[in-house]
Amino acid sequence: MARVLDLTRQAAVYATRLLAEQGHEVIRVEAPAGDAVRRLGPFLGGVPDLEDGAYHQFFNAGKRSLALDVATVEGREVFARLVPSAEVIVASAPLPLDEAAIRALNPGVVLTVVAGDELPELCAYARAGLLAITGHPGQAPVLMGGHVIYAATGAWVMVGIAAAMLVRKLTGQGQTVAVDIQQCFEIFLDHAVETYTARGRLTERRGHRGAVTPISGAFPAADGYWMLSLGDATERWLTFMDWMQDPVLAGDAALRDYDERLARRDVILERIGAWTARFPKAEIVAEAQRRHFPCAPVATALELADDEQLVARGFLVEVDHPAHGRMRFPRGALATLWDRDVALAPRLGAANHEILSELGYSPDEQGMLFERGVTGASLR
Amino acid sequence: MQTDARSAGAGPLAGLKVLDFTHVFAGPFCTRTLADLGADVVHVESRTRDPGDRYRSAYAHRNKRSITLDLKNEAGHVIATRLAMVADVIVENFSAGVMRRLKLDYDTLSPGNPRLVFISLSGYGHTGPRSAWTSMNMTLQAYTGLMLTTGAEGDPPTAISNSWNDYIGGLHGTIAVLQALADRAESGRGRNIDLSQFEGSVATLGPLLMAAAVSGQPPRRWGNRSSRTAPQGVYPCAGQDEWCAVSVETDAQWAALAEVIGQPALARDERLTSVVGRVRHHDEIDAAIAAWTRERPKAEVERQLQDAGVPAERMRRADDFVCSPDSGHVYRAVSGERPEPLLTPTVPFSFSVSAVTPPSGACKLGEHTHEVLRDWLQMDDAAIAALDEQRALV
Repeated sequence: MARVLDLTRQAAVYATRLLAEQGHEVIRVEAPAGDAVRRLGPFLGGVPDLEDGAYHQFFNAGKRSLALDVATVEGREVFARLVPSAEVIVASAPLPLDEAAIRALNPGVVLTVVAGDELPELCAYARAGLLAITGHPGQAPVLMGGHVIYAATGAWVMVGIAAAMLVRKLTGQGQTVAVDIQQCFEIFLDHAVETYTARGRLTERRGHRGAVTPISGAFPAADGYWMLSLGDATERWLTFMDWMQDPVLAGDAALRDYDERLARRDVILERIGAWTARFPKAEIVAEAQRRHFPCAPVATALELADDEQLVARGFLVEVDHPAHGRMRFPRGALATLWDRDVALAPRLGAANHEILSELGYSPDEQGMLFERGVTGASLR
Repeated sequence: MQTDARSAGAGPLAGLKVLDFTHVFAGPFCTRTLADLGADVVHVESRTRDPGDRYRSAYAHRNKRSITLDLKNEAGHVIATRLAMVADVIVENFSAGVMRRLKLDYDTLSPGNPRLVFISLSGYGHTGPRSAWTSMNMTLQAYTGLMLTTGAEGDPPTAISNSWNDYIGGLHGTIAVLQALADRAESGRGRNIDLSQFEGSVATLGPLLMAAAVSGQPPRRWGNRSSRTAPQGVYPCAGQDEWCAVSVETDAQWAALAEVIGQPALARDERLTSVVGRVRHHDEIDAAIAAWTRERPKAEVERQLQDAGVPAERMRRADDFVCSPDSGHVYRAVSGERPEPLLTPTVPFSFSVSAVTPPSGACKLGEHTHEVLRDWLQMDDAAIAALDEQRALV
């Protein structure tokens, strides 16, 4: 188990969550007033609170919190005393101490420096070409919701960290990893880039219809939508017709031909939607899956909180939250794999006293730092 | 050829043998990242499944070696098993049970190769009530909540038109493999990894799952607006389907924007001087901005706003990465079937000591069959010729 110092912003914070899922000791060094991740809504409980931000509650689970103002001389001194004990440091630029100073304190450290996240999320998304492929044809393109793009960039940061940690395991040697967030964004356009350079074709927004195969999309159900992707093979079409028994389509022999289905897809999609609109999505999906059609309910995060697959796999566990009572908690993809428990997110500064004591600050000195606003401490 | 990560300037995974049974995208994306990190990735393919050399994507096939083996041929199957015995990592994304039926699953292989790290990347994992469900990128986008989080209230399900879930699944797979290898360095043992793409993607929406669990309500859909600032949005520009993203973060930027769009009175409008006022009158502000942007090409909108210090970015597309030197920096030119080079991305990070393997073009189907048999199994020409005769290497 390694000690990790976490000074990441939103674009990289998932990386240190993944390190916590692996069982490492992650100390999040946060501004005493609470950093931007803590302040991001929605709030569990519906009222803004430094402990209740949903992004803090999920991405900072499993970590310890050191509330420390690294913009002050005293704060940087505390940080410098902490550096030698860390195997890994992950920080969004600018670093509180420059790289040479960090290396002098800890020559073998795996230092990951994250830059390239200066643009606002929506602007970075547009610049990376992703806005052009998100949303519905004929309408304004739209940003992926839930700040999901930053979870993806955090995963990329973790790949870099994990590779450097492996090298250190094998060779004893540390190094610096430099990650560029804008480049992380750009990678998610790679299929479209290759399609353009290889075939001269630009990828369009396709909304919720017709992804790769023509007979596909989100269709209305009695209680929402379900997603179907039928596949091109005629055998699949015939099996589907066998089930649907549509009076217009099922008997039409011309539709055995793929090109004919492609040409008449609008009618086909219309009729499928009208047919399934009568049934609850769980029922229609269960029937379609029995026939091996790739499909799923179109779900919201609320439905996922009760999902039987996530519960069965141990991804969702029941926890007693001090503020919100018994609730479903997502352990995380890798914690589930390694079957590790992940503690709830820490209160701001909850580890201050222990860590400062470990670093040799006397009670008087800790009091002085607190009085000067260099450190914060949580209310008990 | 570098022996391992200890060699100067080697990749982090130098010397590591990865046997790659993946197809479509999530699996190949994981193994391509391992290849970029210096692993020797051998992609097991077959002409019996893939007749003829169709266009092979640098997307899925670069930095790898390709061998063709008929796994249903007895001799071909023996070779696959022998390769598995010397592999450090095996990656597969078949449906549950396929590798077991081929006797190439972890339980069969690990007694003979206890250091083996074996990872299965499937839609839902190999256990649980959904493990038998068929999944694809779009069905997972739907089921993981992303399509009803993206877009504005009342919009139908809204998708991103790429293999989003395959990227997320592949990234988690790569991380899991790297972590398992670090554990192996200490314990000497490999492990079996049953990774669910569904769980990886749900984790990216973990915050909203927690919020919904407490509130009993589905998440709000914000469209292009921000919970923190106003105005923010995507505004129509001159031409067909051309847009510019704008995100005003400070009051000073608001005043500057009002000037740029020729409406300085808006900057003095008391209703709008603070962000609270601007969010209350967001629709009115959007209309004023759009009236200005609609008349101008997106590049001009971007330039004028940026020059005034207002965060603005025109909507770029894939062709921008080809034409504009100021974007697409993660992309590299590689050779492909056309005379012009393809662009494919490398990894978005660099190391101060370790090396990253630059992306190559896609290799041909079965291009390295004989070479890999010599490298990994020390087979001689006579033995290889015998396998050819038995039709094992197709």
